[in-house]
Amino acid sequence: MKSSRVNTLRGTILLVLGSGCLLLAAEVDTNVLTLEEAKELGRLKSSYSRETNRDTRATHAIPKANLSHFQKSIGPILQRHCVACHGPDEPKAQLRVDKLNPDLLTGPDIERWREVYDVLSNSEMPPDDEPDYELADADRSNIIEWLGDELNKASLARRSDRQHSSFRRMTKYEYSYALQDLLGLPYTLADPLPSETASADGFKNSSQMLQMSAMQFELYRGIGLKALKSATVRGDRPEAVTYIISMQEEMEKGSAKKAELFNKEDKNYNKNRTRQHLFNKETGEGLRFSGGKWTPTADAVAGKTSVVSPVVLVLPKSNEFKLNLDRFLPDEGTMRVRIRVARTTMEADEYASLRLIFGAHTSNNANFSLVISERDIPVTAPADNPQFIHFDIPLSEIPRNPFRHLSTTFPRRDELLSIRNVSNAHNKTEPLSVVIDYIEISAPHYDQWPPRTHNAIFVESKNKCDEEKYGREVLTGFTERAWRRPVTSQEVDQLMALFAKYRPEFTNFEDAMLEVLATVLATPEFLYLTQRVSDNSANIPNTISEMELASRLSFFLWSSIPDDELLELARQGTLNESKVLKAQVRRMLADSRSDRFSHTFVQQWLGMDGLNSVIHVHDSSLKESLHEEPVAFFEEVLKSNSSVMNFIHSDYVMVNERLASHYKIPGVYGPHFRKVPISPQANRGGILSGAGVLTMNSDGRDSHPLKRGIWLLEHVLNDPPPPPPPNVPEVDLTDPKILNMTLKERISDHRRKPACISCHAKIDPWGIAFENYDALGAYRTQIRNEPVDATSLLFNKQELAGIDGLKRYLLTDRQDQFARAMVHKMTAYALGRPLSFSDRADIDSITRQFRKHGDRLGDLVNLIIGSELFHAK
Amino acid sequence: MNTNTISLNRRSFLYGAGVALALPRLETFAAKTPNQQDTPKRFVSVYHPDGVGLPLKADPAWKDWSWFPRGGEHDFELTKVLDVLEPVRSEITIYSGLSHPAVRQVHGHSNADQYLTGAATGGHGPYKNSISLDQVIAAHTGEFTRHASLVMSTNGGIGGPRGAQTQSFNREGRPIPARNKPKQIFDMLFVTSGKDARAKLARSKSALDFLIGNTRSLGRELSKIDQQTLQQYLDAVRDTEVKLANAQKWIDAPVPDVDTTNLKLDADPKEARFYFETMYELIYLSFLSDSTRVATFQLGRENGEGPHDLLSKAVGLGNAHALTHAVKKPDGWKNLGTYNRYQVGEFGRFLQKLKETPEPTGQGNMLDNTFAMHGSASSSFHLSRNYPIISAGGKNLGFKNGRFLKFGKGNEDNQAGAGIVTDVGWRGKIEAEELPLSSLYLTVLHKLGVDAQSFGGITETLTKV
Repeated sequence: MKSSRVNTLRGTILLVLGSGCLLLAAEVDTNVLTLEEAKELGRLKSSYSRETNRDTRATHAIPKANLSHFQKSIGPILQRHCVACHGPDEPKAQLRVDKLNPDLLTGPDIERWREVYDVLSNSEMPPDDEPDYELADADRSNIIEWLGDELNKASLARRSDRQHSSFRRMTKYEYSYALQDLLGLPYTLADPLPSETASADGFKNSSQMLQMSAMQFELYRGIGLKALKSATVRGDRPEAVTYIISMQEEMEKGSAKKAELFNKEDKNYNKNRTRQHLFNKETGEGLRFSGGKWTPTADAVAGKTSVVSPVVLVLPKSNEFKLNLDRFLPDEGTMRVRIRVARTTMEADEYASLRLIFGAHTSNNANFSLVISERDIPVTAPADNPQFIHFDIPLSEIPRNPFRHLSTTFPRRDELLSIRNVSNAHNKTEPLSVVIDYIEISAPHYDQWPPRTHNAIFVESKNKCDEEKYGREVLTGFTERAWRRPVTSQEVDQLMALFAKYRPEFTNFEDAMLEVLATVLATPEFLYLTQRVSDNSANIPNTISEMELASRLSFFLWSSIPDDELLELARQGTLNESKVLKAQVRRMLADSRSDRFSHTFVQQWLGMDGLNSVIHVHDSSLKESLHEEPVAFFEEVLKSNSSVMNFIHSDYVMVNERLASHYKIPGVYGPHFRKVPISPQANRGGILSGAGVLTMNSDGRDSHPLKRGIWLLEHVLNDPPPPPPPNVPEVDLTDPKILNMTLKERISDHRRKPACISCHAKIDPWGIAFENYDALGAYRTQIRNEPVDATSLLFNKQELAGIDGLKRYLLTDRQDQFARAMVHKMTAYALGRPLSFSDRADIDSITRQFRKHGDRLGDLVNLIIGSELFHAK
Repeated sequence: MNTNTISLNRRSFLYGAGVALALPRLETFAAKTPNQQDTPKRFVSVYHPDGVGLPLKADPAWKDWSWFPRGGEHDFELTKVLDVLEPVRSEITIYSGLSHPAVRQVHGHSNADQYLTGAATGGHGPYKNSISLDQVIAAHTGEFTRHASLVMSTNGGIGGPRGAQTQSFNREGRPIPARNKPKQIFDMLFVTSGKDARAKLARSKSALDFLIGNTRSLGRELSKIDQQTLQQYLDAVRDTEVKLANAQKWIDAPVPDVDTTNLKLDADPKEARFYFETMYELIYLSFLSDSTRVATFQLGRENGEGPHDLLSKAVGLGNAHALTHAVKKPDGWKNLGTYNRYQVGEFGRFLQKLKETPEPTGQGNMLDNTFAMHGSASSSFHLSRNYPIISAGGKNLGFKNGRFLKFGKGNEDNQAGAGIVTDVGWRGKIEAEELPLSSLYLTVLHKLGVDAQSFGGITETLTKV
């Protein structure tokens, strides 16, 4: 297979021995290096580390049209094969090929060239019935390749014509977080908004993609008002309905059912104890029990701590305790489910957690149920010292039984709540179960009255009785937080004028005020990330103000509006001081809101949305883990401020139990992700060999080298291939010859078609290197009893030997490209706009500093935030 | 809890009134006066639960009481179930071999929800639906009429997931409450009072004025390029203004006068005959007055008790759902067939009425400009395949009727799944190949002038239609 044209990985390496005093320069076959050594070698080859004094702004000229190749080669071919029909003599389709300006970047003929590209790549031209002008495959490829390059360059140049601005509206998820942070609501209300599409870079926060329509505008107004109403209350504290479920009482009630009673001493106890049952720890008496129907307890007081009972519900792994709550839950407000619970055993490699499921069964075949708890809550307490776990569920936001208010009994009106034990219990002799002695369900639940969310809007004030004065206070406080800037008294005047118009139509101050506040939430000042021309606190032209900087920071790291501390620093004018800024970035990354950064950035950077449309992952916990792995990996690299080259390869993985079992890594227990060291034989490490990415880039049955190659080029190397020409022929699977080929053979067969070769040569080899991973990203050495052939040859004749070879090549020869891609992607995300030619010098300078200091991810966040670009309009 | 809303556009107030309004169009609204469009293009869908009778050929009842016609596209012969449609034979098309693929192995009782949506609503667990065909159409015709659509059912409301009591679902896949009380429907259509609505409109107007002022002053502080971005926001506000103005027009426009002689507004489903006739008459009157161009009507609810179960009393039979279970009892097929015949007969009378009424503002009669369909999400006993569908009218929209159109393969005589009487039949193996019903829906959308790429995930149309 190895011909003389194949480049093996060879490079000049500086081997650092011992304390580092002896340097040897030698030619080394890099195939013998470990990937970690390859990483070191590649680092030393970086052009960024060598060229230190280069003027960054001069390095990236705007691309030039390749006219010499046209004159030498393309022009003559066109002359021979096209001009007879598309020339001076009655040109067909009014196309004069001889008159087309070959400079696509500045010339006027780009649209016609695009047509030429299409018809040539479709093999529609020259027509079959003109054998005299038949185009040889080599000539066709030559034109297609040249034209493809020139079209690409021209489109880039066109992009650079337009100045992209960071002035944009919030995305749907940002709007949702902003509302939650502004109002203190723990759940989203933004679902009715349409989802955003991603830009060419893959980012949803890209300014040019964020449109606004009348429909959206109305949704913003409606959602804003609904959120304000959810956050505020009127009148006296509503009476709560409270269900109390005491296992002791249930045992007493059930003791009559002799058939279901058993004792610890019975012969068949072992069978009974693996089922759901009530158990009296003192008497050893048990009773099979899986749920029941309850009504609210009159005069019950929620939130009290009663004496722990010896009678518990034993809930084994994967069992559900089913509570029929009849029809007494209120329509709105928070339902608090409080459960006193413990573990039966305390083995470190076993965990148990609780999950809530809600639904109804209104008539035969008309039922629904879904998980309503946001996350499973782990049970950690030992049996002799149980803990309280509670869930808060917004009743207005979950699907309810629509018949609950009927006066008749059919369709059924009751609502069903289940408590599920989600666990990995595997110990055979002493199985881990959870034991529950007391459950309390109370709604609507309020920690205080009026709730904090209410008081944050309708603040305490001595002016409460003076609607005019108090109205101004409420409006000023709320609007400054919503608009992320001080408001002027004229602006408050205008809002008060609106309030005055509304006031007579409402019986109370609050209702009229909410209408005005909802209008505040529909203004562009709330919905958009603004950058004013006139604001110029820093006195540097073209720089955003400190208030705007506060927003840019918070939207970057929190996907939401700034908090009071950021706004206060901005108001004082100190946020821009380098020390203050660094401290704030540290604080923001330590805040739990920065989870949104890891999640949204990683999801968009790697295009993980693709996993949502995958239908061949049937295990939902695996699917969740596939989504989560790259996020956990990113967080690990960010928190430890280590090198982004770990994304290409690392000697550890970030896994939980489910994923570890998928990767066949033993000894990992529990649902949380943690860092686990691996050997090279594990064939994992980094994000490229992560099962999520590989699964997403499969066709459902098998790997999909093309998708994998494109994914790598687009997301990791930021070198997207041109879009496929229209009407690409499908691989014809009805042809028995093709059907019998291996996938790799099929691809190379397809690639042989002249219209396809130019693009595919640049994509497929990358994807074929992943062939050792199947449709679920599991490692394999055989496909249909044949050994996997994952070697491929890049268009530059570089051989890639499977995933190891791919990683090796990227680490030794493509570090600069990847580092730059990383900078590019994160900067585009931070700015919320596409980057263009005018940004290239800045990106270069960030990349240089980034590379110089070891490609550390935490540094990158700070470098971007400290860059001129981040402070520029 | 406060129920005021910041704005009253037509959509929100009509939702409140139980009538769904169109999705706002994405493009800029032009201010249109009522009824300014050319000849109306209308859509109506009637849904009946519990499917139809499908005896095996060997069964003596097969000859008379099997629902599907026999014979070819033009020379088909109607059995006793559908022979009431003989007078409008040239106006109807009967389909076989169509169903929604995602639920072919879900119990028929769970599937009324997806009849007009084609969503994978499943049989248990989490539930998600998508927009229904009528609402896609309403999004386009809604701006020309006072009400974007009229959503009715015998049971009213929304029902429960997998137990829908409405055929209409909005853009988010949420059910749109159906009206079931003739008097309320009539009042909403023809006796609307605009007083409350007017006050809300005025409030919205002030909010919009404020927003426009606020946006303008922000715009003055932005760069040229950012002003262009902001312009989009301003356009959105303006579009909303135009819609408000439109809503204002409808509030001010007098409600149409209609002939109420055929209405029994106090009828309820117990008096099935009156009730049916009145509901159809309301659709007819709302079309005639161009109060809406889109209507859905669900006759009952899959499974279980409820007012709809009494509809079969109109033909002297016991509870409707029980008829499907009793087909193997003496006269079982006949009884089910008789009830289906009655349902179809009422539909036929409605068609006849549309046919006899000249189009008030255009060519031909009202039926020529209306696509009317009648069907169910199961054929044989709880089996969600080979939906029994009849469509009618739409001659001016490009529909050619008087045909029996067979789609799919392997079930030319409609015997797949015939004669099932056990409650596990719906799980059976899929033997015949059927085409997605959404292909018909996409075809309907195109003929009604809605430029859609796909419906329910389906991109192919039915060229035979």
